[in-house]
Amino acid sequence: MPPPAASSRYPSPSQPSGKSEVTDLKSQLRQLAGSRAPGVDDSKRDLFKKVISYMTIGIDVSSVFGEMVMCSATSDIVLKKMCYLYVGNYAKGNPDLSLLTINFLQRDCKDEDPMIRGLALRSLCSLRVPNLVEYLLGPLGSGLKDNNSYVRTIAVTGVLKLYHISASTCIDAEFPATLKSLMLHDSDAQVVANCLAALQEIWSLEASHSEEACREKESLLSKPLIYYFLNRYSYLKGRSKFQYGGVCFCRIKEFNEWAQCLILELAVKYVPSDSNDIFDIMNLLEDRLQHANGAVVLATVKVFLQLTLSMTDVHQQVYERIKSPLLTLVSSGSPEQSYAILSHLHLLVVRAPFIFASDYKHFYCQYNEPSYVKKLKLEMLTAIANESNTYEIVTELCEYAANVDIEIARESIRAVGKIALQQYDVNAIVDRLLQFLEMEKDYVTAETLVLVKDLLRKHPQWSHDCISVVGGISSKNIQEPKAKAALIWMLGEYAQDMSDAPYILENLIENWEEEHSAEVRLHLLTAAMKCFFKRAPETQKALGIALAAGIADFHQDVHDRALFYYRVLQYDVHVAERVVSPPQQAVSAFADTQSSEIKDRIFDEFNSLSVIYQKPSYIFTDKEHRGPFEFSDELGSTSITPEVSSDIVPAQQFEANDKDLLLSTDEKDDNKGLSSNNGSAYTAPYESSNISSQMQELAISGPAASATTTQSSFDFDDLLGLGLSTAPAPTPSPPLLKLNARAALDPRAFQQKWRQLPISLSQEYSVNPQGIAALTVPQSLIKHMQSHSIHCIASGGQSPNFKFFFFAQKEAEPLDYLTECIINSSSAKAQIKVKADEQSTSQAFATVFETALSKFGMP
Amino acid sequence: MPVAASAIYFLNLRGDVLINRTYRDDVGGNMVDAFRTHIMQTKELGNCPVRQIGGCSFVYMRISNVYIVIVVSSNANVACGFKFVVEAVALFKSYFGGAFDEDAIKNNFVLIYELLDEIMDFGYPQNLSPEILKLYITQEGVRSPFSSKPKDKPVPNATLQVTGAVGWRREGLSYKKNEVFLDIVESVNLLMSSKGNVLRCDVTGKVLMKCFLSGMPDLKLGLNDKLGLEKESEMKSRPAKSGKTIELDDVTFHQCVNLTRFNSEKTVSFVPPDGEFELMKYRITEGVNLPFRVLPTIKELGRTRMEVNVKVKSVFGAKMFALGVVVKIPVPKQTAKTNFQVTTGRAKYNPSIDCLDKKFPGQTESTLSAEIELISTMGEKKSWTRPPIQMEFQVPMFTASGLRVRFLKVWEKSGYNTVEWVRYITKAGSYEIRC
Repeated sequence: MPPPAASSRYPSPSQPSGKSEVTDLKSQLRQLAGSRAPGVDDSKRDLFKKVISYMTIGIDVSSVFGEMVMCSATSDIVLKKMCYLYVGNYAKGNPDLSLLTINFLQRDCKDEDPMIRGLALRSLCSLRVPNLVEYLLGPLGSGLKDNNSYVRTIAVTGVLKLYHISASTCIDAEFPATLKSLMLHDSDAQVVANCLAALQEIWSLEASHSEEACREKESLLSKPLIYYFLNRYSYLKGRSKFQYGGVCFCRIKEFNEWAQCLILELAVKYVPSDSNDIFDIMNLLEDRLQHANGAVVLATVKVFLQLTLSMTDVHQQVYERIKSPLLTLVSSGSPEQSYAILSHLHLLVVRAPFIFASDYKHFYCQYNEPSYVKKLKLEMLTAIANESNTYEIVTELCEYAANVDIEIARESIRAVGKIALQQYDVNAIVDRLLQFLEMEKDYVTAETLVLVKDLLRKHPQWSHDCISVVGGISSKNIQEPKAKAALIWMLGEYAQDMSDAPYILENLIENWEEEHSAEVRLHLLTAAMKCFFKRAPETQKALGIALAAGIADFHQDVHDRALFYYRVLQYDVHVAERVVSPPQQAVSAFADTQSSEIKDRIFDEFNSLSVIYQKPSYIFTDKEHRGPFEFSDELGSTSITPEVSSDIVPAQQFEANDKDLLLSTDEKDDNKGLSSNNGSAYTAPYESSNISSQMQELAISGPAASATTTQSSFDFDDLLGLGLSTAPAPTPSPPLLKLNARAALDPRAFQQKWRQLPISLSQEYSVNPQGIAALTVPQSLIKHMQSHSIHCIASGGQSPNFKFFFFAQKEAEPLDYLTECIINSSSAKAQIKVKADEQSTSQAFATVFETALSKFGMP
Repeated sequence: MPVAASAIYFLNLRGDVLINRTYRDDVGGNMVDAFRTHIMQTKELGNCPVRQIGGCSFVYMRISNVYIVIVVSSNANVACGFKFVVEAVALFKSYFGGAFDEDAIKNNFVLIYELLDEIMDFGYPQNLSPEILKLYITQEGVRSPFSSKPKDKPVPNATLQVTGAVGWRREGLSYKKNEVFLDIVESVNLLMSSKGNVLRCDVTGKVLMKCFLSGMPDLKLGLNDKLGLEKESEMKSRPAKSGKTIELDDVTFHQCVNLTRFNSEKTVSFVPPDGEFELMKYRITEGVNLPFRVLPTIKELGRTRMEVNVKVKSVFGAKMFALGVVVKIPVPKQTAKTNFQVTTGRAKYNPSIDCLDKKFPGQTESTLSAEIELISTMGEKKSWTRPPIQMEFQVPMFTASGLRVRFLKVWEKSGYNTVEWVRYITKAGSYEIRC
């Protein structure tokens, strides 16, 4: 049931309660009600105006309902309008009194003036009182047949309103069928447009429980109908010979801009029969891209993009074609409008950065633009940076780093960092980043430190330049936990290159109590350990203090890590070094933050709120999970249902990690120590630490710490209470397909392929318990699959849902198999989707995959 | 569903509802409270014009001292929503005769209610064209009192017009003197680096038209753009006229322009609405003539003194002149004292140094030199962030793009004579020079 209408609206404390005024009005209205004196309309007008103005400012004037109705007998149209407005506002709260209005509204519906007929019909349909619907049917029926188009347009929307009050009454009266015939035969464009809007809504709501409605909904998308609409509105071509149902539309007229949006939205859903069909529609609509209304342009863009999805070449051309109209829209209109357009442009830029690469100057920020526009522009600049324009873009971004708006300054530094991580030639960018450190602004330094750390993880060869500058930064000036953690990580990692690293660490450790962030304390422990292995004499004392403080720490993670380090050191210092400070490994790529499915889904919902929020609509419009009155402060917080949770995981991750590039990485190296290298730079265990992160630490340390690798994993299984012997041994089928053990594919190429190829196979396997147990360290699966020549390109997810993207290549042939694998550890099921260059062998590949997966976790 | 709005609210800056209209029942009546407490009273206000609270999305924009908020609960079409608001405000303005602000709303609330009823029905935008609506929404704002307003037009006729064939023009107009006014208004956007390199430069132009023409005239407009000229010379099989042609990056037209004919013949032909309207918009990035060059030199002499020298040079024709030229030179916040000389016009300190020139002839140069003393602040190592120098100006009879109207032909079956007036003006959009 919808909430009460405006009558219960919040009365502003500054406004009078208006009780005495309302009583006054009441008596005055009563006097005028029966009067037929000349000039009575004028005094009525003044009174009505007063009533309406009280209503507007939130005073409850529902008590004069009866008097208002009595005064409604007038021929003055303005008076009538005010009366209708009043009635529409209060009828819902006073269903009994509304009965009074029915009479005069019904009478007005038969007035000889079409204006009054229309207005009365609209008010009648807007009463929204369920027990009055029977009175609606007659006027609506005659309204639909009215010879005046104004009345018909109102009647058509009236049908939709009736449907929302009482669906069964609307269907029983067979209004949808009437609307359909009106839609096809009416001479007035607005009537047709309203019919379309109403039918679309009614049928899509009915479709869930009526097959007929489903069919009708489909029929809206039939070829003749789509062409009927499209041709109709491009009548200016002057040669529309189209015939539908035996009626020839010679005098067809143009729809207005809003109706065009509606029709274009319908055309998006149309499935063209062949490529000629596609080109016909695109030719018909091409001129819409020059329309002054941005909404029409965007709707047309959507049609073009969706129609050509299957035709890669044309799709590219479409991007080229729509670029300039969109850029024009961005530069004209209010900032809010350009924001709406920019959000869409942002989506396109991220999908096809190379097409926009030469237009980077359009995304330069102007000094006075609002920050929401600037933020989008910065993201786009990051996305389109390539070899040819990086220099200019980075130069421009550096200008923003000095911006007065701190948030934008931070964003732009992050953008520089992201570009540095994308590019191969980072030489110049490193210099720029180091210049930021010299600006001596706290927030600039903080952001830069985080970026330098990420950069060093990817390109360790720059350590020399960076370290010399970083070494000069006083840790006292850095307050933000992230930046502090980054600095400490560098101190630990490059202790041998920084002469005073142990002393800085010692200083920090001495202030252990004042350090509020657990993240920083964790890093401090690890850095002290690393420093100790490199420069033992200088660090020993500090390490001792750190471990003592860590073990006494109230934070569980810090305590556990300190205790673990202590015990490993006790066991064997060399083992400890192998665990905590293995040889450095470069991270080749940071994981993508948003899955391609989510992106595709948003793309399908082009020209809607999804694009603005950058998440698919089911997340924010699901009414079952969030009532209209439930306010949450967090925009990003969403209620998640079990059945959709696997889809949402990446989205959540995106939220959580978008400021932190540290995420799981894909590994191409089989070095066992690699995972522990990640572990040391890991920022994951925050407050919300769960058992699995602890386990991860353990499992990482396991193989290296004890000499017998298998032994430790047995212990680990026991920990989960899984008997090894009870597990059934799967019977492996012989692999039919030879895979290339040294296949290589870069993430971008993978993404592109994934988008292009259809799903050739989708299957569900069960995973054996050992496999699930071993999955607490997702890396182990990656390594396991690699030994079967199936390589991981990206992974993510949290317990119980893990998601992996794998690829493999056929031996001796450049044919790729792309696989998405979602493993649910609580149900022990793995869902795989295979996309293959060569469809015929995908089954064979799936068999190989299953065999490999079934062996996972077996010693 | 491309619903544009479930409800629309007009709020003043304090958050009081001035007027509201609920179109659909899927949003609650108290949604506006959510907007007040979660957006207006927090820092969120300037952060993003689209926000979600509970199950509803708020799409809002501020126009003068009024917030216009659209509430939707479905996955609505945002671009359409914003456009609707902008168009609705334009419509209100044309009814009130100019300003749209809190007072105008309060004084015309009955009229606004009437209009809100007509322009949107159940969340679907209907007809927003002022020409048509004015035929049957007869109140003329506060400008004329109710009682003295005679109903000169029979209403039934008007409603037929609502959805007529040429939706933007009614039949039977007649003027004694047939006149057309054409205004080419361009705004130049510039971003120049401190080294004098043009980082970004474009021109967005509008062709505004004011028509007082009888009957149903057909108009044809010719510009010196490349596409149109090429097509023409091709058709008449003679070489293109010498003279500058310009290349438009992108053009959009008012709905009255026959786009099919533009695409096939490259002529702008149309049946104009009556009165004032925006005929076309265009954008140009190549070959822009910048009207002003600015050469700043700023020296920071120690921690308490600065020297600023800004040279402004006009590079348009010597016979033309610019009006209302303002050069805003930013200075640090801790400025204590400024001392300046200008060669022409005057200057004042007004958080930034503003140089004002009422009239600035072409091909001349003006210089400002200033000395600035700063308060020395304790322990402040922060260097000053140096915002860009900004300029405002208007140059009549000059187009930065070089666009010219070549012809404007009016054809009507009665064959009357028309008088055509064409004006050009170039304004500063965001004209920024970094220093």
